[in-house]
Amino acid sequence: MTTATPTMELVPEDEDRETYILNMGPQHPSTHGVLRLRLHLEGERILECDPVIGYAHRAHEKMAENRDYLQFLPNTSRLDYLSGMIYNLGYCQAIEKAMQIEVPERAEYIRIVVGELNRISSHLLWMGTYLLDLGGITPFLYGFDDREKILDLLDYVTGSRLTYSYGRFGGVTMDVDEVFLRNVADFCDHFRGRLEEIHKLVTGNVIFRHRTRGVGVMGADLGLSYGVTGPCLRAAGVARDVRKDEPYGIYDRFEFEVPTEVEGDCFGRHMVRMSEMEQSIGLVEQAMRDIPDGPIMAAKVPKRIRPPAGDHYFAVESARGHFGIYIHSDGSDVPLRLKLRTPSFVSVSTMPVVLPGTLLADTVAILGSIDIIISEIDR
Amino acid sequence: MIGEELIRLAGVSASSEQDYATRGYHGEHEAAPEAMPEVAALFRDAGYHLENLTCLDQRAVEEMGHFSIVYQFGRYDELDRQVVRAKLTDDRPATSIANVFPGADWYEREVFDMHGVGVEGHPDLKRILMPLDYVGHPLRKDFVDQDTLRYQLSGVVLEEEVEEEAAGDE
Repeated sequence: MTTATPTMELVPEDEDRETYILNMGPQHPSTHGVLRLRLHLEGERILECDPVIGYAHRAHEKMAENRDYLQFLPNTSRLDYLSGMIYNLGYCQAIEKAMQIEVPERAEYIRIVVGELNRISSHLLWMGTYLLDLGGITPFLYGFDDREKILDLLDYVTGSRLTYSYGRFGGVTMDVDEVFLRNVADFCDHFRGRLEEIHKLVTGNVIFRHRTRGVGVMGADLGLSYGVTGPCLRAAGVARDVRKDEPYGIYDRFEFEVPTEVEGDCFGRHMVRMSEMEQSIGLVEQAMRDIPDGPIMAAKVPKRIRPPAGDHYFAVESARGHFGIYIHSDGSDVPLRLKLRTPSFVSVSTMPVVLPGTLLADTVAILGSIDIIISEIDR
Repeated sequence: MIGEELIRLAGVSASSEQDYATRGYHGEHEAAPEAMPEVAALFRDAGYHLENLTCLDQRAVEEMGHFSIVYQFGRYDELDRQVVRAKLTDDRPATSIANVFPGADWYEREVFDMHGVGVEGHPDLKRILMPLDYVGHPLRKDFVDQDTLRYQLSGVVLEEEVEEEAAGDE
């Protein structure tokens, strides 16, 4: 049996200084899951921070070693339940690349539409819950309203709301119809206006600005030395996005920008995500304009998925950053090792450097701004 | 080319180019575990960042019989991804690169936690995903779950217990 950890313990170090250790989490509404931060405090100032992870470890990598490649497919959208589509399609693309399976054009375009919609829904939930962490309830309702619209759209085509398992090696499971495309077009029109509203509601808010500007600065040097990716790195001025640097699928055919900010603070991360939603809408509209007719599954998909022996690596840009799938195959039906390189894992590993020196009240603002998903950190 | 610079380092035995279109890598290299801090520093100075770090249990694989640590470095100014493999033996354990790339700290803890592979020179090597008092290393190929408490709580009767009981009855 594990022994219970005291929530708070005094550390008698020095007679003049009174420091103590505070456990934040694992059951805490602002840690977005079951993250525990062991904070060494002096008054309200953080001296040291030791993140404790693993509370949601479900052994995805061990599972992968005990089942074949197709059987692992449902696991992938459960890694990150907010942008499950991107992880799911990323895994499919990794296998397609290793097996040299050609994906039909229509399926590629559908993947862009659903993937980008999923990215918007993830960012919307982030915006809502982040503002809730900071004490604003109204933006949460706005965020969830539009997120619900996206979930309905994805539900219509995939049959599920969060854990899609929509991709297959060589295509997607179900075709989209005119109703779906029309509804997505309507949503895009509606959402552009809604983004402006959210900007007015949140970005210009003076309390929000005071709580986020200059707070939790994660500079470019720190980000690069730790290997931080995604909005956290882009907020520090490094314009890096897997979709642009290493275009997978058909991302090289689309026009979009990689939004960046300079400060690397919580406000910068908010702005990057807001601009990314705008770019994603642009991507969805371009894909809808060009979507061709045709099959949605490759004609020839090998019955047995056996990637050639050796290492394979494939990266996609998830809503949180660089998601990599490393497969070491021995040429058999099951991988010898399947490692999931998840972006939040790296982002949280910077917390022992970012948090010291800040106030306890800002911990919630900083932790929320890096957009962590515990199930993706713990795997 | 990083491969040519690497091969001059002591402890790097082989470098070869890989087909990016099928593998996702541009080059792969073999290095001695104790040479890794030096290799990592070379990558860092050339503008690479640590992208991934993991361990392979190849003890049961023919002609292998060891663990190896897989380091993966990428760079942003051009598309280039290099993988370095370090073969571990009993007298040649893994060496930490956490002082070169601080991001390696948690990856190395994960390797220790999941594979039971010690990493020398690591600042604070302890379990990361499993509980601190956990017994065993789950991603080893010969791993047997010893967490009997979980079975007791869930009411599942283990096969061995059934056999034991059957033997007791006779």
